[in-house]
Amino acid sequence: MKFAIALFAAPHLPASRRALRFAQATLAGGHEIVRLFFYQDGVHSAASNVVSPQDELDLPMEWREFVSTNGLDAVVCIAAALRRGVLNTEEAQRYARPAANLGAPWELSGLGQLHEAAQQADRLICFGGQ
Amino acid sequence: MATLHMLSHSPFADSRLASCLRLLGAADAILLSGDAVYALQPGTANLQALQLMPASVALYALDEDLTARGMQAPERAQVVDYPGFVELCTRYAKVNSWL
Repeated sequence: MKFAIALFAAPHLPASRRALRFAQATLAGGHEIVRLFFYQDGVHSAASNVVSPQDELDLPMEWREFVSTNGLDAVVCIAAALRRGVLNTEEAQRYARPAANLGAPWELSGLGQLHEAAQQADRLICFGGQ
Repeated sequence: MATLHMLSHSPFADSRLASCLRLLGAADAILLSGDAVYALQPGTANLQALQLMPASVALYALDEDLTARGMQAPERAQVVDYPGFVELCTRYAKVNSWL
């Protein structure tokens, strides 16, 4: 079955861990993930400058490894990311900001990508909350 | 077209669970995750409301979140792990997250 997974919660919230564990179980179960979409505070999971405490799960790193290892399509909402200071090199240059904190394997794109993923997938599973 | 309703907020903090219970279909199911597993706390109105649901409505709770809160699932609820969670999503036509 084809899954689209959307994450709305920040990396320090339990919903982020739940989304990752669910995504891992999806692939382990022989299913396909057509797209991961990071929206609202979920965009922080894609930021490369997040430093997690040593005794805590490093979710941004786990997400990055999961996406890279499995060659997944991982889209970060550009409007949600810009307003939260999550920028790739192109956007940092466009808005004359001193640094970029988003790179591969993430892609900045619009909400249309969530809509398209919902159309392509058999199930759209959204994660948020506590 | 049965729906799996996924809850992740404490039912003691807002009215998501109450709203969900009002519009449940007869073949729908509820999956409690995160703080929503507190709905299974013994001796509460929330657990009573869940136990009053028709038997056709399945009730699930995520194992990891029960364990993290030192809670046991009552007989009415079935405990699922992550592979079980994925399987549930395939079994119901729609999955609605009460974000």
